Formats: sequence, C-alpha cells, structure tokens
Amino acid sequence: MSGLGFINPFGVRELPGTTTGDFYTANFAQKAQPGRVILNLGPQHPSTHGVLRILAEMEGEYVWRAEPVLGYLHRMHERMAEVKTPQQFLPNMGRVDYLHPLAWNWAYVGAVEKLAGLEPPERAQWLRTLSCELNRISSHLLWWGAFVMDLGGVTPILYAFEEREKINDILQIITGSRLTMSYFRLGGVCADADDRFLALTREFVPYLRERLKMYRGLVTDNVILRRRLEGVGPIDVDMCRRYGATGPVLRAAGSPNDLRRDVPYGTYPQHDFWPATGFPDDCFGRYLVRLAEIESSLDIVEQAVRGLPPGPIMVDKPPKANFKMPAGETYFAVEGARGQVGVHLVSDGGKNPYRVKLRAPGFSNLSLFAEAAQGTLLADAVAILGSLDLVIPEIDR
Amino acid sequence: MALSLAVFVQIIVAVLLVIGLMVGNAVVMVYVERKACGFIQRRPGPFEVGPRGLLQAVCDSMKLLGKQIFVPGNIDWPLHFLAPVVAFLPVLLLYLPIPFGPYLTSLQVDDGILLILAFAGLGAVSNILAGWSSNNKYGLLGAARAVAQSVAYEIPMIMALLAVIFMTGTMNLTTLVEGQGGWPWQWNIVRQPLACFIYVVCLVAETNRAPFDLPEAESELTAGFHTEYSGMGFALFFLSEYANMLLVSFVCAVFFLGGWRGPFLDGFWWTFAKAYAIMFFIVWIRWTFPRVRFDQLLNLNWKWLLPLSILNLWLTAVVVKLAN
Amino acid sequence: MTVLDNLAADWKKCGACVVSRHDFRKDGLTLSAVTPTKALKAAAEALLRAGYALLDVSVMEVREGFLATYHFDSFAEAGRTALRTLVPFEAPELPSLSGLFQGAEWHERECSDFFGVRFFGNPNPVPLLLPDDFDGPPPLRKDPAALAPLSALGLFGVPEILDPAWAELIGPGGRPKGDRA
Repeated sequence: MSGLGFINPFGVRELPGTTTGDFYTANFAQKAQPGRVILNLGPQHPSTHGVLRILAEMEGEYVWRAEPVLGYLHRMHERMAEVKTPQQFLPNMGRVDYLHPLAWNWAYVGAVEKLAGLEPPERAQWLRTLSCELNRISSHLLWWGAFVMDLGGVTPILYAFEEREKINDILQIITGSRLTMSYFRLGGVCADADDRFLALTREFVPYLRERLKMYRGLVTDNVILRRRLEGVGPIDVDMCRRYGATGPVLRAAGSPNDLRRDVPYGTYPQHDFWPATGFPDDCFGRYLVRLAEIESSLDIVEQAVRGLPPGPIMVDKPPKANFKMPAGETYFAVEGARGQVGVHLVSDGGKNPYRVKLRAPGFSNLSLFAEAAQGTLLADAVAILGSLDLVIPEIDR
Repeated sequence: MALSLAVFVQIIVAVLLVIGLMVGNAVVMVYVERKACGFIQRRPGPFEVGPRGLLQAVCDSMKLLGKQIFVPGNIDWPLHFLAPVVAFLPVLLLYLPIPFGPYLTSLQVDDGILLILAFAGLGAVSNILAGWSSNNKYGLLGAARAVAQSVAYEIPMIMALLAVIFMTGTMNLTTLVEGQGGWPWQWNIVRQPLACFIYVVCLVAETNRAPFDLPEAESELTAGFHTEYSGMGFALFFLSEYANMLLVSFVCAVFFLGGWRGPFLDGFWWTFAKAYAIMFFIVWIRWTFPRVRFDQLLNLNWKWLLPLSILNLWLTAVVVKLAN
Repeated sequence: MTVLDNLAADWKKCGACVVSRHDFRKDGLTLSAVTPTKALKAAAEALLRAGYALLDVSVMEVREGFLATYHFDSFAEAGRTALRTLVPFEAPELPSLSGLFQGAEWHERECSDFFGVRFFGNPNPVPLLLPDDFDGPPPLRKDPAALAPLSALGLFGVPEILDPAWAELIGPGGRPKGDRA
C-alpha cells in the first residue's frame, strides 16, 4: 500500500507484482487483474474472530477473489499428541476448539477407548451427552451473538454472553473450568454430577426456551437482518461435498447429516431428537439451523437430566500412567458444534500414539469460503464468513 | 444584512458559545450513549470514574487530548490534517441560525435553513479527505461510501424540508417555530407526517449513525474513513459527529416538533428537550438494529425515499395552491 | 449395500491392490483400499461419482515410506471409506485431488507443511499452517530409528505381509511427464 494518494488521483491502480506486502500478499497478487485493489482483512480485523486473515481482490465493493491465510494460531497439536501419552494429551483437546471443547474431548477419548476396548459405564455416557450438549448450546449462543455483531448489531452478543455465563456456571460445577474444559477421561468422566448441577440444569432449560422466543422477536424477525441474510451466500450440498463441509453448514444445505443420529455414539440413540433441516441454503438458513439446534440440544439436555442413571462414572480399572494402547488404528468422529470432529489415531503399541490426525470441521468449512464469497459484496462476504461459524484455534490446530 | 460591528461581536460570542455547546454536548452524549447502551445491553455501563461514572466522559476526553498522534507512512500530509478541521469548523456556522428560544438566536437570517443545508454538505468533504489522505484501503472504501451516502440522502432530506417550507412559506427558522402551536397536534409533524418520517431516516443516514453507519462500518471496514486517525484527529471527528447529530435534531425539533413552543412555559428548554429526545432515539436504534448493506442503503434512498419525498412535495404544492 | 459393492468394483477396475470391507461399528470404516499412486485419482473419481465427500488427508510416516490415508464420508448414508497409498521417501510425490474435491487443496498443503510431501497439480502450493519462511525439518517427520514398519501398526485393510502388488506402489510416483507444478 504505497503512495496510494499521489500517483493516480483518478483511480487506484495496483499492477500484479508491484504490490508490497508479505509473501502471501505477493502470492495472491500474482493472479490479480490490474486495476483491482488487494484488501487485506486481518489477522486483526473485527469480523475475523481471532486471527484469521483474508486476502480479497476487490473491485469497488465487490470481492472478486478471496483467499484465507491460516496459521496465525498454529500450535502443532498433532506433534504434541505424538510425544505425550493419551492422558497427558487430553487437556490439549480443550484448547483446540475453545467454544466446544467437550466434543474434542469426546473425539479423542472415544478414539482411544475404541482402540483399547474400554467401555465407559452408563452414567458416564449420560454425563458425556449432557455436558456435551450444554456445551454445544453455549457454542451456538456465542456464534449467534458474534454473527449478529458481524452484521452490525452489537447488542445480541451481550445477551448471548449472559446465557453463556449461566451455562459456564453450570458446567463449571462438573468440569471445573469455564472455557477450555477437560472433563472426559479414558473410561469415564472425572467428576460426578451433584444435585446443584442437576437443579441448575433443570432450571436453565425452560429459561433459555423463553429467552429464545425473545431473540426471535428481537433479532430473527428483524427486517434488516433478514434482508442482509436471505439469499446471501448460497451453499448447496454439492459444494459441501466438494469441500467436505459438515455440520450446520451441510444441514442448512439440505442434507440431514448428523453423526449423533447417523452413527450413534454415546447415549444419542436413546434420545428423541431430529437433526435440524428444511431451511434455505443461504446465510439465513444457516442462522436458523443453529437456532433450531439450540432447541434440539435443549431437548436432549432435558431428556438426559431426566434419564441420568445411577452408577459409577469410571470403569473399574481406569488406565494408569503406564497405560499402553494396543497396536492398531481407529477413526472416531463426533458431531461438534461446527461439524464432524474426527480423530484418526494410529498406535504401534507404545505409550504414545504413533500418529494422531485431528480432523477439524472448521478447516473444511472455511475452505469453501473462497468459492462462496466470489462476486459478493464485501458486507456479504463478511456475513458468509460469519455464517460458517469459525473458531480459528480449531482450524489452525 | 450589513456586517456591522455589533453583528460581528454577536457572531464571535455565538461561535464561542457554540463551541461550548459542542464540547458539552459531546461530553454529555458520551455518557448518555454509554449508559443507554449499557442499559439496552443489560450491563451497568461506565460506573467506576466519579459518582455513577459521571466523570467517564471527562477522562475519555483527557485521554484523547493526551494521546500521541500516530501518523501512518506515505500519507497526504496537508489533507490528512485538514480533514478533521474541515469536519469540525462548518459545524460552528451551522448552529448560528438555530432558534434555541424566542430571543435566543445567534444570527437572525431569513434563509436560515439554506445556510444550514449549504454548510452541512461540507461534512462529506471532510470524510473524503480523511479517507483519501490516510493511505489506507479501508479509509478509501469508507470515503467512497461516505460520498455516495451523503449525496444520496441529502436530496430527500431537502425535499422533505422543502415540503414544510412550501406549506409555511418561510425559510426563516424563527418564523417556522412561531407558526406552530404549543401542543403536539399543532406541530408540523401532524400536517407533514411523511416529510417528518423521511427527514428522520435521512437524519440518521446523514450523520452516519447505525444502522446507516456504512462509512465507518466496523465489521467490514474496521473504522472506515477515520481508521488512521488517533488522538485529537479522532476526537475532532468524534466531536463533529455528535455536533452534527445535535444539529439535525435541532432542525427536526424546529421544523416538525414546534421548536421552543410547549404546552406551557415556552422557552429554549423545550428545544433542548425535543432535540435530546431525538438524540436518544438515534442512540436507541443504533444499539438495536443490525447494519444495512450498502446497496440496500442506496436502494432505500433512490427507490423509496426520493419518490416518496417528491410525491409529498407535489401533494403539498397542490394542497397549498388549492387552499390559496 | 450396493453403493459399497459398486465402489469396490470400481476401485478394483482402477487398479487398487487391496480392497477390504470393515465393520463400521468396530473400525470406523466401511470400506478401504490400498491403491498405487497412479490409480489414486481414478479411485477418488469413483468416490466423487458415488457422492462421497473428502473428510481429511492423513499422512503417516512408516518405515516403507509415507502412507497417505484419504478419508471420505458419504452424506447419503452413514459410513466412512478410506483410500491409502504409499510413496517412497526418495520421491514423496502424490497427485493432487483438488481437481475433484476442491477442499483437498488445503488438506494437501497441510500435509506438505508437516511432512514435506509434494502434491503435484495443487493450484496453490504455498505453506498453509506453517510460516512461509519456516526453515526446519517438516515438524511431523520422525526420527528414522523410531519409524515403525507397516506390519507393526495393524492398519485396517493393509496386509501384514507385503505381497508382490506392493512392489508397484513403492516406486516412482504417478507424476505425468513434463508436469512441474
């Protein structure tokens, strides 16, 4: 961005190859057409939620080409998994996706348990479902607030935080932390639900249902919001397939794909719920899907509180520090708030896994942004970016 | 009007008072906005500094005054420093013809509203200068938006005011107020509801406030045209934004809400009360609505507000002609 | 299960060495295949036709070379499939699938970062997660002494005893002549 104001007073001109900037800007500018502006959004930008960076080739207000640049929050979790025992690595999983840490907890614990043949007791399974769903609600709530903030409505995020605080208070009782939770253990969970936890959860469900009604009137039915979202950034099933997008993005596109129902794990087969589908495939559909998922998660939480069986929360002989997984391979995936959270784990029979591949749903979801944002207005591109529900630490791992 | 010494002194005193009003207004509005925003968002707002956070705005302004002015590289120096001044100075003139009270007008001119509209257009110039000169692409985009927006919304705004002028036959703001009664049903808003509606929409757009704050759209352009301004440069933009808000609120109060006339005890307090009620309304919608998209903003203007205001003007003209 | 049958037949046609069925509940996979590097693209095309989506690309370093596992998932019915191929350390080159599954571009760039494997045909082969000026060994490469042989890992659908078909796998990659992407 040099000498913009002096060289040519009639228009901004940046020829390919003349752009100053770092490696990625130069790489991006190589394919840019003359006369278009390369706009660098991020890694510190109000609408990129963390440290995502988007390079956009703009013509006026239109985005002609966009390219996300990742890696600003890369921590090499996969390497850490190879040099730590599963128990030591577990706390890392809360750090991968700080908004829905329990899904990652579950994916990793589930993969190890599957390989080692551990079967957690019934109560632990129910507690996993219960806490995971509460966590999903808090994740969607925060997304909701942040998304409306991307659209310029600043107030809803504070409402969302209010509910999120309540969920954090509840989850804190059993998980012991409010953000990067590490609640699941190999063969069970680390703490039992007490009466206070159950009572607060029971109170919370009807409370949030009431609040959701208020949000519908305040935000969802707002004419400006609808105009901003309806018909913007359509993503169909075929596009999801080509990019591997899952979760709410895929369900809004019309596919009822939900691992909780398709590949039941935990206690999900015993719950009465239905994946949210039947919405338009634009930004507004993705917005509605997540709100509907909050409600279906509330149903699951209600059922889980009612059906929580008594019993132990840990297998009889939990894995000790010298625990060795049998040699073999496993792939375990759970439905996170953003899509399929997968862990591909290979063990050579040693203490540490031989290779752990973490499949982050946000990674695939974000990869379709470049195509979805092509030819949209800058404000629409921001809306599409928000509607993908990105959590950067998960994408960068 | 001959520019005699008395008038000159009167203008000097008035400008000084207006500067006082602008600064005072900014201080009050910072507090009101933050408290109102806090109330809307179910949080306390500022409460640490002074009793109930009353000194927060003072602290903020001290901070802005004391801040180092950061200047990005490769900027257009003269324009970069001219822009905040261009934003600030015309506002001083704009307040001159406003009749705050029956005897409280800085400068009695027959074409008061023309003066205001003429100088209000300078606000867009300052936005262009700021966005263009700061060598920042966000600034440039924000400036481009600011131009398109203020050019577009000025037209229905003038049309709406023109309808009232047709009806009352005067451009003198004092006469306008005197033509209205004290009770709400004697105000112009009752006779010109559509014009009032159009004016209020344009008022929000002209002052670049949410949901029409496109030139500084935070989630898209970080801060738009004033991205690269810090310290006093930013403070001047900030001051002039609030001053502009207050000005259009005063104009609205004078044109549509009966100015200083009230059900009892006519006086400048009514003007202020009405203007600040509109200010609060602007603050309220800012914290409630999401932002519109740029094409929607222009569509709203060119496809709805402009035809409506022309229709309104035409109807008014017909009615005035027939009534005469 | 006709979809899987068709898929298995297609893979065989493409030249997959081993195609095996799995118990999804137990292994997390329904079908897997080991293909020569040359046949990878054709096998992936069969998956694209069958309505599968690319979940991830998981490269692993074993004593024999780099074992790349591509996981696919069908949105229509529950089930995950895997395509595997092995490339030698001397010529760590794989064909890019980004022409079929556009999402593969990022997965492949990630693998290039972590293992130094090259994917020819990738439209934008620049570092994804690592900085552009990163000058160290690829972070997931293991100490050669710590490498496990394929037979010790018990991978699904990978035969424990190397049969003659593997000789073709461990050979020069399927890079077309003149392609320098």
